[in-house]
Amino acid sequence: MRSIAKLIRRCMGILLISTVLVFALNIILFLIVAVGQVPGDGPWTVAEKTAAALKETESGWTFSEEMEEELEKQGIWAMYIDDYTLQVKWHTEELPEGVPMEYTATDISNFTRGYLAGSPVFTAEAQDGKGLVAVGFPEGRYWKHMRPAWDYDLIKNSPYIVLGAVGANLLLVFLIYVIANTKLLRSVRPLVEGIQALPSGMGEHIKEKGLLSDLAKKINQASEILRAQKAELRKRESARANWISGVSHDIRTPLSMVMGYAGQMEGDMSLSEENRRKATVIRQQSLKIKNLVNDLNLASKLEYHMQPLHMEKVSLVAVARQCAADFINADVDGRYTLEWNGPETESVPLVSGDKDLLVRAVTNLLNNVQSHNPDGCRVCVEVCGREEGYAVAVEDDGIGIREEELEKLKSIPHYMMSDGGTEEPRHGLGLLIVQQIAAVHGGEVAFKAVSPHGLRVEILFKRSESEKM
Amino acid sequence: MNDTVLNCDYIRQKKILLVDDETEILKMIVNFLKEDGYTQIHTAKTAAEAAAAVADWEPDIAVLDVMLPDGNGFELFEQIRRTRNMPVLFLTARGEDEDRIRGLGLGADDYMVKPFLDRELLLRIGNILRRYYKEEDPLVLLAGSRIDFSRAEVIKGGEHLPLTAKEYEILKALWKNAGRIVTIDQLCEAAWGDNPFGYENSLMAHIRRIREKIEENPSRPVSLITVKGLGYRLMVEGR
Repeated sequence: MRSIAKLIRRCMGILLISTVLVFALNIILFLIVAVGQVPGDGPWTVAEKTAAALKETESGWTFSEEMEEELEKQGIWAMYIDDYTLQVKWHTEELPEGVPMEYTATDISNFTRGYLAGSPVFTAEAQDGKGLVAVGFPEGRYWKHMRPAWDYDLIKNSPYIVLGAVGANLLLVFLIYVIANTKLLRSVRPLVEGIQALPSGMGEHIKEKGLLSDLAKKINQASEILRAQKAELRKRESARANWISGVSHDIRTPLSMVMGYAGQMEGDMSLSEENRRKATVIRQQSLKIKNLVNDLNLASKLEYHMQPLHMEKVSLVAVARQCAADFINADVDGRYTLEWNGPETESVPLVSGDKDLLVRAVTNLLNNVQSHNPDGCRVCVEVCGREEGYAVAVEDDGIGIREEELEKLKSIPHYMMSDGGTEEPRHGLGLLIVQQIAAVHGGEVAFKAVSPHGLRVEILFKRSESEKM
Repeated sequence: MNDTVLNCDYIRQKKILLVDDETEILKMIVNFLKEDGYTQIHTAKTAAEAAAAVADWEPDIAVLDVMLPDGNGFELFEQIRRTRNMPVLFLTARGEDEDRIRGLGLGADDYMVKPFLDRELLLRIGNILRRYYKEEDPLVLLAGSRIDFSRAEVIKGGEHLPLTAKEYEILKALWKNAGRIVTIDQLCEAAWGDNPFGYENSLMAHIRRIREKIEENPSRPVSLITVKGLGYRLMVEGR
């Protein structure tokens, strides 16, 4: 589920970046609007400037021309209300209709907070300190709202309150995001699992529900196709193995008679020596067919994983020793000198393996020596420790193998496993089976030319396997 | 074929029942057995014939094919064993491990896969008969002594030397493969059973004691030969 964690990390990143971007965008928008809002002075400033421009001299009221022009341009009216008489002592030329010339304290309080005859009014203290200057703007120029008042603590703590509010907002956004995404992730997870299971071909059916049901459907289809293909392949492989098994079964009974009668004729003293020799050849060749049939059957079963393995704790020394003894026992003419070079049984740990198959592998190596050196040679059977594990080795000083043949043996797959041409000279199945048996035990087979002549074949069982006790 | 005859002419008197659906195979095996000196041979081509022969003729050993026209050999085997206790050897074209294990698991005495060599079949039949009817077994002749397996003793110069249980098992394993190398591991398995590892030194001690009983000069053995590193070989007179 590494990919889901990755997904969450990526989404969190996107969330943080978008929050910062939204915040920045808002500040920029606010600044743009604010700059457009203030082309000149604000209304309170205008009121203060008006108050500053108005003076009472001995010859009467003077008002600066500059300010007068300014007020006129904007359609603003102004008046001076005396503190003691509460009467208007000065005003601009045209006052809107309905502006009284005398006020009460209540009137002043009301228009300071709101409007007078429809005009938004702003006030300032007159320069002489004895009156109030009020300026009225054209109707609709400002929207006043002077009623609200705030608790002092609220204003004092406003920075914290703002920060808290921003935090709470972020948290809310995050929660919404998490809930929405969990839902999405929950619907994505089975899909991810389904896709991950596809290569193994063991994918289970995913529920085709929710947001991504279309995708689930497609994955199910793909999984179904893979499963069907795998089953088909398995069926074909087992049909092939069964076919080979059937043929080898059917060949056995007729071959019994060929072998049996040939064997009998071999010992029949009433036949001429020449005919008895022919019988020997027939028996020997039948034996070869028998071995080939057995090999073919085993090789195909190992190749298609249809050979049941009977795994148990096996002593490699005991296996090698048995094969060596069988080899000597079968060598009636004494053509081969077998040298045993194995340690005591206990000195090599037991391996987990199929004893019959292991015996078969070593026997095949010994048979190989025999078939390539029919006139006899020296054979050495060895069990030795290697860095990676333990090896059973069969070495001979027979005709050996040429360098290029050795290379081919190592690199070119056996014809049974190859779909290429059949130009290459064919080898028997013996060594292929040795390789297959080594493979099902997690081992390897190594070929080495021996100086001055001869071949050494090692079946290496890796330590991890040897230690599975 | 004389090399398979080993002081055991009594086994040639045993009654052998052959069951196979192939007439030619039956003919051939009868031929082999007759040449080897067996005289009492009966053949059956179906399971029904075989069952009838077991009841009427009372054979001493049966050689069964697995695939029969009216049933299979495994079922026939179970049927035979219910009425008569006698050794059975399966001789069949079914060479799969599962079949072999099934046959031996049922309690068959041996399992041979076709095609087979005449000599191998005769040796196996002989071995089974000798094992099964051992009380009728004569003495085994060695260079300096005789072994009497039915009494578990060695007779050397008129003296009767009893064999211990382990010595008996070891000698028996060697004798069954007389003339051939029996590996150290096989001997340990015969004497100590399923987990025969770590007994090599004990085995050597037992071999020494067996030599004291069977050899004229135990330090220069002629009957129980060491094959260095591999195992031992029992040399039997007349083989």
